[in-house]
Order: sequence, then structure tokens, then C-alpha cells
Amino acid sequence: MRFSHVIGLFSAAAMSAALVGNAAAQSKTVKIGGIFPMSGNAASIGVHVKHAFDVALDIINNPHPELGNFPLAKNGGLAGLGGAKVEIVYADNQGSPATGQNQALRLITEEKVVALTGAYQSGITLTASAIAEKYNIPFVNGESVAPNLTERGFKWFFRVTPIATDFARVYYEFLNDMKAAGAKTDNIAILHDNTEYGASVANTLTTAFKEKGIAVALDVAYATNATDVQSQVLQLKEKKPDVVIAISYTSDAILFAKTMQALDYKPPMLLADDSGYSDPSFIKAVGKISQGVFNRSSWSVGPAGSPTAIIAKMYKDKSGDDMDDTVARQMQALFVLCEAIDRAGSTEPAKIQAALKATDLKPDQIMMGYKGVKFDDKGQNILASGLIIQLQDGENYVSVWPKASAEKTPIMPYKGW
Amino acid sequence: MRRTLWLLIALALVVAYPLVFTTPFQQRLGALVLLYAIAASAWNIVGGYAGQISVGHVVFFGCGAYAAMGAYTHFALSPLVGIPAGIVFAVLIAAVIGRPTLRLSGHYFSMATIAVAELARLIVTNTEYLGAAVGLSGPTVARNVFDLSFISALPYYYLFLAVLIITLAITWWMTRSRMGFYLRAIKDSERAARSLGAPASRIKLYAYMLSAGLTSVAGALYAMMFGFVDPESGLGILISVKILIMAALGGAGLLFGPFVGAAILVPLEEISNSLLGGKGAGLTFVVYGAIIVLIARFQPGGILALINRLWAKRRAKPMDESIAQEAGHAS
Amino acid sequence: MTFTLVQVIVGGLLLGAVYALFSSGLTLVWGMMNVVNFAHGDFVMLGMYVAFVVYTLLGGGPLIGAPLATLLLATLGVIVYFGLIRDIMKGPMLAQILGTFGLALLLRYSVFWWFGANFLSLPENLVGGTFDIFGIRIQASRLLAGVVALVVTLALHLLLTRTTLGSRMLAVAEDATAAQLMGIRPDSMQAIAWAIAAGATGLAGALIATFFYIVPTVGETLGIVAFVTVSLGGFGSVPGALVAGLLIGVIESLSGYLIGAVYKDIVVYSLFLGFLWFRPQGLMGKT
Repeated sequence: MRFSHVIGLFSAAAMSAALVGNAAAQSKTVKIGGIFPMSGNAASIGVHVKHAFDVALDIINNPHPELGNFPLAKNGGLAGLGGAKVEIVYADNQGSPATGQNQALRLITEEKVVALTGAYQSGITLTASAIAEKYNIPFVNGESVAPNLTERGFKWFFRVTPIATDFARVYYEFLNDMKAAGAKTDNIAILHDNTEYGASVANTLTTAFKEKGIAVALDVAYATNATDVQSQVLQLKEKKPDVVIAISYTSDAILFAKTMQALDYKPPMLLADDSGYSDPSFIKAVGKISQGVFNRSSWSVGPAGSPTAIIAKMYKDKSGDDMDDTVARQMQALFVLCEAIDRAGSTEPAKIQAALKATDLKPDQIMMGYKGVKFDDKGQNILASGLIIQLQDGENYVSVWPKASAEKTPIMPYKGW
Repeated sequence: MRRTLWLLIALALVVAYPLVFTTPFQQRLGALVLLYAIAASAWNIVGGYAGQISVGHVVFFGCGAYAAMGAYTHFALSPLVGIPAGIVFAVLIAAVIGRPTLRLSGHYFSMATIAVAELARLIVTNTEYLGAAVGLSGPTVARNVFDLSFISALPYYYLFLAVLIITLAITWWMTRSRMGFYLRAIKDSERAARSLGAPASRIKLYAYMLSAGLTSVAGALYAMMFGFVDPESGLGILISVKILIMAALGGAGLLFGPFVGAAILVPLEEISNSLLGGKGAGLTFVVYGAIIVLIARFQPGGILALINRLWAKRRAKPMDESIAQEAGHAS
Repeated sequence: MTFTLVQVIVGGLLLGAVYALFSSGLTLVWGMMNVVNFAHGDFVMLGMYVAFVVYTLLGGGPLIGAPLATLLLATLGVIVYFGLIRDIMKGPMLAQILGTFGLALLLRYSVFWWFGANFLSLPENLVGGTFDIFGIRIQASRLLAGVVALVVTLALHLLLTRTTLGSRMLAVAEDATAAQLMGIRPDSMQAIAWAIAAGATGLAGALIATFFYIVPTVGETLGIVAFVTVSLGGFGSVPGALVAGLLIGVIESLSGYLIGAVYKDIVVYSLFLGFLWFRPQGLMGKT
């Protein structure tokens, strides 16, 4: 009676699950799983990353001599595997750690991917990489910054991106240089959301600054996806800090820009922490009223004709958006992973893992402004670093620090609108 | 008699499922169905039988999840130890918030439960001891079997099945008891039930506490399987809605309704995500949303109520009176 | 200090008026027809996208966008009523949650499919910039939304209390069968109620779009605020929603400024629950 129907549905569901698995089993392709948010609040991240990966696959799978020394660009496919093509199998994590883990399992066991990358939100990276660890599959992360990810004693987890302690160093040195150049940087306020990203970065910055003898005068925390941020802006306006460090996702970053204009508040220096302020949607929406905002980033387009400029153009042609730091870091992680697979000359997970451990990329072999890529025992890239960019004209970020890689000199004070 | 026979056959099929469908993803899918069936069945006690639509059940789910992960993080104990602790927390919280909120009628009760759930999420997000926004993790590499951190979904499957059977048995026992009689009376008309001397407030509170305790077990099992809980995944309002929707879609107020709902929605969600999610165009939820709308539109009493009705019609014999009656209650 | 405090309160009132604006439609259907609309936030979202499309295609501001959004959403309201609500109203309350939640997902992700997931925004000066009155800054776009909120509340209130149509709608809300016996057709009345409610919500969305960001998931952020506003005000009470909206706006602003923005929602929810303890029918709801 009632149950027979249920069981019928149940088994039909299970059979379609089986069908999903047996779909593609082509030879000469290397399958990599990509887990990203493609619905929910962070869906734009997943949409961007697909375009970026399309560009990366184009570079890897087809000859691109114009990119010069850039790894995997010269010939088509992975030379170490006889020209095998790379294929990405995407999965939507739906912004849920549970879904992220389910999809990781599916990619590993049904799609037979040889390695995974993703998953943007730190909490989801945590659960998805735990499955990869259990199945002995390498997981290369390019964008999650929660400190605990590399403190779990994992042997299959590698993180290319700089983390909060690296940001703190960048901020400290940048502010020092600005101070030497005559800017006032004594009174610092940190504005951040209380997500795992905002809270942990704010914490790390406060501690790191304290160690250097700088006190953070004002800490303004707020809940993300706010409907209104007037009171926070007024708090800042009243305390008049010299520097406001803003750590926000896109939604809140846009709201802050609009509210700051409405309440006529311009801090002398607005220093943003990547994320929302790097989102091309932020620039399109409120770039014109955020002129002169500094931003911590590891991506800069670079001079015309350079590999980074070519990649940036390919991405823009593909997606219609300018490349931002988040998507660039994700793309870099894919390159690091593919370079290791190429060097391993095998799709055996253990060999890929060994190759990842031996990774030693130089600055001219990567697209990010890192000092290179080299993993420590915990899987953290010890050469990850950052630079400071500025939205001088309200339309495009240009790198302004450190001097060695700067395209323009920093403009002070914050102009706004 | 026949009913028992069919039940046994169904049980045999559920027991056999992971032995027939052996890939890790299929087994996990089965385990997830059972997990959500536990949560939705627990919700059913207060939402289905008592007719008190709680949209804040995630509070109790979170109690279990946080207790399990907390036991590991703070005391290096097996997350299993968190289960009784979670039950105690959940029942206590239910007692405290149930007393004032259960007085509220209809939508006010639902709104109050939403507010309580959001309050809990916001407080935990700002509580360092509970991991704040970062959340709490379980053991990634199992120290022993009691850490319940398995590679295969098979142990989870049978563990969840056992818990589901216990949950359903408790529910069944409740419906046959005096409490179930009172609950049905309250659901039909609280005023009438009161005037006939039913201790309505007390009965509703008991149902709420029972439901809370069982929901926390589901939360604890969830956290153990995924090895992680954070404010969004342990206390997010969407989980409340998901639990409610499974029960409603299957058939609220019917013993096996929540299980049917879970058995439809969980595979639907996972498979549509697997097939469409990677395209990144939001199609998963267009399909998912459309199916829910269609079911609500054409079968507001839930799928199981429809099946029961068809069954009753075909046989039109007095034996199935009780089922038809149940179906009548739901719609 | 006091100066900033005045600015905080003014900001809170303007914010509250906006809350009231996008809650009035919800309170109408919720109170009158006892239907919970989980897709309400997504109706606001649709209104925002109408305003955005009007701006990008025609270059028009809210003067064109707002009426168009009202019209389109009112039409959608009628379609939703006849296509879905009329049938699920016969079912249990659970069916309403099920149906409108499914509708919410359907609307949200159809928009996502069509427009993508990027954050969009209208230019800041679309509605005349910002006024400076004795140093208190007031955004014209928010002021407009606030004024419209008052007008809509008043109009709805008058409609329900002073017109034949209004009393017919209330009669249906009170007892549909009895109303039918008196020659009122419940179906048309309820369809009209849905048209008005959805239209007001679309109007709200089009106005909010002038100072907020636009994204498919924005309805989630706004929907829950509307729920709290409506239940605090009392289901079905249009003036109640206005008072509740203003109250929540000011409390949020003040607690965000004085205690910290992380705690402002905690304050709002705690006060809301405490309030329900003493007055279980909301501010202006019927017992």
C-alpha cells in the first residue's frame, strides 16, 4: 500500500543517481572537481569562477605561446600526461556545509575526479575537504581564509591564498610607508561584519597591530546582509579615525558606500579588505562614489602584453566583468593544481599529492602577486602575499604598493564622490 | 493484519536499500533521507498532531548539533555524549519558551518561534564559546568507533534507521495514548477540548518538549555525520522551513507522512543539484520550487494523504477506516 | 553627541517608514485572508528589478518605475491568487507555507536565471540627492519612500474603513460564507485584495531600489523584517504595520548606535518576544 509507492519513488531516485555517475568516462581527460556557491547569497562567486575556469582550461588545453613562460600555456593539454586535456566537473554547494560535503563525495566517488578545488565559504571548504581527506584525494583551495583550515593535520589539503596573518603584515607595512610619506595613520578603526571571515580577519589584525604597538581605537562590528548601516557610519563619523579598515561582503560594501555619501562621511583613508570591495559589481554599483578607496589584493592586471594582462582580457571577453582578486585567486589555485598533475605525470592521487608538496613556483610562473607558491607541512602557501590597489578613477583599480610593482602613486586623502 | 504485512515489507525494503544501491553517494542519499525523516517526524508531533506550526524547530536541532560538537571540542569526548546533553538542553528550552509561546494562537505562535530561532542564531554567532561565526568541528580523523566518523555511509544509515524507528514508535505510542486523544481534540478545536476538561496547555507543552528532544537527536546526528556546525547550518531558519516542508509535503499528522516527504524531497534536492547545480543558473531551485508549488496546489494535504485516499477508494472496505480517518485529519 | 543622536533617530524613522511600506501588503493578505505569504520578500525583489529594468531600458526614475512596478505586481498578485492561493486557502496552514515558499524559490531563481547573480544598483542621484536641514542629512530617496509609506498606509486604511469595497473585503475576511449569502463574491474580493497587496509591495520595491542594492536573494533579507513588522503591528492592521515599522526602525538605529550593530537584531527580536508576552495580538490587532 502506501509504502510500495514510497519505495518506488525511492528506488527511482536512487537509479537516477546511478545514471548520473556513469555519464562520462572518456579517456585522455583529467577530471577535476570544482565545488562553488552557484545559488544563494554568494551565487555571483560561482558564476564568475566558471568563466575564469573556462579561461584557465583554454590556456591549459590549447597552445598559447603569447603567454611565454607561464606554466601549461605553451602546448595543448598536459605535456606530462601526453597532452591529456583537463576537464572541470562543477558542483553547487548551495551555501551549505552539508551540501558541499555531499557534492564532494559525489565528485570523488561518482565522477571519479582526481582532485578537488573550492569551496569559497570557509565552513564548506572545511566539510568538503574532510571528505577528500578520508578518500585520499588532493584538495587545493584558492580562496578560503579561515585559519583553522590548515591546522587540522590534513595531508591532502593545500591552500594557495594568503591568510589573515599575511594581510596584517601587508597592512602594517603599507601604513608604515604611508606614514613615512606624511599621512596620518595613528587612529585606526576596523569596520567588519561578524561572519567567520570578517570576525577572524578583524581579530588577527587587532592582535597583530597590538604586537607592533598600534592600538585599534574603534572596532565597529555589524551583522552581514544588513538592511541599514546608518548608525555604524555615524559612529565612525563621530570618532573621526585617520584610517578606516573595512572588511565587508559585496552587499554590505555597497550599502556602506551609499550610506557614507548620504551622511557625507569621508575618512581620510579608507582601506578595504578585498572581498566585497573587489567585486566588479561593487565598482559598477558604487565605484563612482568610492573614488580613492584602497584595497588589499593579490591581483593586479599588470602592464599591457604581460601574461596577467592577457589573462585579464580573456576573462573580460568571456564574462563581461573585470577580473577581481577573489576569482583570480581561485584561478591560480586551479593552475597550481594542474601544474602539479602535469609534473606528477599521473592521475594517481598519491603522486599528485607528492607533486603538490614539491611545488615551487616562481613569481613569473604565477598570475597572482605572490612571491611564489610553496607549501609548508600544513599545506599553507608560505610565499603568499598581498599588495595594495586603489580605485583612483572610480572605474579601475590600479596597484599602488609596494613600490616595486606599483603602477601609480597612492592618492590621498579619500575622495569619495 | 494486512497493514502489518505491508509495514514489514516496507521495512525490509528500507533495510535492504543500501545493500542494493551500494555506491557511496546512493548510500549517503539514503542516510540523509532517514536523517531528515527523523527531524520531520519529530516536528510532526507538535506541528502535525498538535497543529502548532513551529517554524523555529531549528533551535532544538541546533541544541543537539552544538552539544555533539561541543562535547568533542571542549571536553574531547565522543560526540555521542552530546546526544543526552542536547536532549536536556532542548527539552529545557522547549519548556521555557513553550509556556509563553504556546498561548499564542496560529500565526503568532509561528512568528514567535521564528523570532526565537533567529534570536538563538544571533546569540550563538556572538558567543565565542560556541565557536561564534566560525562554528565547531568534530573529529576529522576518528580516534575510535565512538567518534562516529566513518568513511562509509552504511553505519550512519543503520544508526539513523534505528533512531527513526524509535521516533516513529514513540509517535505511534503517543497517538494511541490519552495524550494523542487530547492532541486530536485540541487540533480540531482547542476551545471545545478545554471545555470538555482537556488540560490543553499542559498537553501542548508536553508534545512540544517531546518533539524538541527528538529534534535535537536529529541535530546531533547531523553534526556527527558532517563533522561540523556553524550558526547558519545549525540554527539557520531555512532548516526549520526544510523540516516543515518535508512533513507538510508528505502529510503532516500522519505517522509516515514526514518519511514520505523526506524520501521525495531529499533525493529531489540532491539529484536536481547534481544534474543542474553545476550549470550555475539557479535552475535547481526553479525546478525544486515549481514542484513544491504544484504539490501544494493540487495536493494540499500531502502526498501520503493522496495515496491513502486512492487506496481507501480502491478498496472501499471498513478495514482502512482508520487510515481514511487519519487522512481526513490532515486535510 | 546629541546632534548625532538626532541624526540617528531621523535615520531610524526613515528606515522604519520603509519597513512599514513593504509590510503593508503583507499585513493585508495575512490579516484579511489568514494567508502567510512566504514569497512576500520576493515580491519586493521583483518590484526592485522592475525599477532597474525601467532605468536601464528607458532611463526613467521611480516616476515611471514605481507605477509600472505597482501595475505589474498587481497583475502578478491576481495571477498568483487564481493560480495558487485560492486552492491552497482551502487546505491547512501548512499548505500555504509550502505553496508560498515554493513560489518564493521559483520567483527568486527565475530572476537569477534571467538576470544573473550580480549585485545591481541604481544611481544615487536618481531621486534628487540629499538634503541638509540644520546639519541633519536626509536622503531624498528615503524621504520619498517615507512619504509614500504614509500615503499608502492612509489610503489603505481609508479604503478599508470608508468605502463599500473596503467593507465588502472586510466582510469576506470576517466570514466568507456569510458574505456570499449577502451577494458579495468572495473570489473577486480576495483577488482584489491580492492585487492591492502585491501592487503596494511592488511599489515598495521600486522605491527601495533607489537606495538599496538589487540582487535575486534580497527578498530573504527584507522578508523576515516584514514578518516581524506585521506581527508586531497586529495581523491585518495597516496602521499597526506603520507604527510597528517606525518603532522597529528607531529601535534598530538607536541600539545599533548605542549598543553595537551586532546586537541590534537581538534587541529587536527580544523586545518583540517580550511584547507578545504582554499583548499576544500585536500592537493594533484584534483579540
